[in-house]
Amino acid sequence: MSEPELHLVLPARAENLIVVRQAIAGLGEALGMPGQRVDDLKTVVTEACNNVVVHAYDGIPGPLEVTASSDDDEVEVTVSDEGMGFQPRATESGSTLGLGLPLIASLSNSFEVTGRPGVGTSTKVRFALPRADLEGASEAGPGEPIDELTVAISPGAIVRPVLARVIGALAARAELSVERLSDTVLIGDAVSAHPGDDFATGRIEIAIDEADGALRVRVGPLVTGGGERLLAQMRIPGDEGSLQALARSMEVVQGASEDGRAAEYLEFEVAG
Amino acid sequence: MRTGEIALDRSDSKIPVLVVSGEHDLNTAGDLRARLDELLAAGEPVIVDLSAATFVDSSILGVVLDARRRAEEAGLGFAVAQSDGAEAVARVLEITGLREELPVHGSRDAAGEAIAGEPPS
Repeated sequence: MSEPELHLVLPARAENLIVVRQAIAGLGEALGMPGQRVDDLKTVVTEACNNVVVHAYDGIPGPLEVTASSDDDEVEVTVSDEGMGFQPRATESGSTLGLGLPLIASLSNSFEVTGRPGVGTSTKVRFALPRADLEGASEAGPGEPIDELTVAISPGAIVRPVLARVIGALAARAELSVERLSDTVLIGDAVSAHPGDDFATGRIEIAIDEADGALRVRVGPLVTGGGERLLAQMRIPGDEGSLQALARSMEVVQGASEDGRAAEYLEFEVAG
Repeated sequence: MRTGEIALDRSDSKIPVLVVSGEHDLNTAGDLRARLDELLAAGEPVIVDLSAATFVDSSILGVVLDARRRAEEAGLGFAVAQSDGAEAVARVLEITGLREELPVHGSRDAAGEAIAGEPPS
């Protein structure tokens, strides 16, 4: 099994389940899983995430972390939290009647749940693949209560479908206009078309915060000069009307990567 | 990107139909519960139509089962329909045994007939 090809960290809130599902569906399709197994993967991952949303945190939602990796034979998805472990607690919206775990058990090829109070819970599921042709990279950890969603994807065939679905789900939720909604596809296209070399960690990383009918997007950490090159790519000649108009205040911002090294980010906001 | 919607359709039946479309999970389970509560509290029977639903999770199934139980206790008709629906939804209903347990009818008409045929309690 390779290092994670997909890593999502987002606030453990029910409204984010659809985002996880879209990312996972994009991954499953890119890995060549048959439609029914993609459906099953969505169900299983949703149920694992339900456990985090309902049971892991008391009040303020902490991180819901989803990682996925694959080899030639199978895809492995791990859903984890930093919460209190499975608490016997009724949901706000109604009983799930204990169907979640049986669904995970019956639809996955194998699964395991590990954890203990104070450390968090981790649900790992595996699905057999007809074939797989992807390799991956490594990942860093999440923090305490968070507002934004971060996605890190190894360069390759899964970048475009995963980004398109994640950005699409967030844009729909931000209630962008129909025109803006379709325009947001261009963000995923531009980022996924950009060489992985410009990303400081070797992974395509993007953070998205959704607020007040807008999406704030941060791409990176990027290597020095990577921000300008990505910016140039975003400004496709003859395409002034779409991507540039779509994103306001697109700029390269200097910052630091998680390990403290100097890095730059491309930041922009999509609204309307 | 399709997210979930719940609409009330009273167009062609004496029985109100809750039309569940798009993706539904923990995020919309509370809405579905509220819509069902409203109808049951008004003493109305209800058909839940899942034909246009593209995804449902265990929390949605839990809400539907719970509503059926309360409808039975109140002596109100309750039925679920899915015709030509998404395979993803059909599969979850199958795997959980709910297609037989609820049961899930192949059309709104069949669901309506099932309610009409129920003995009054």
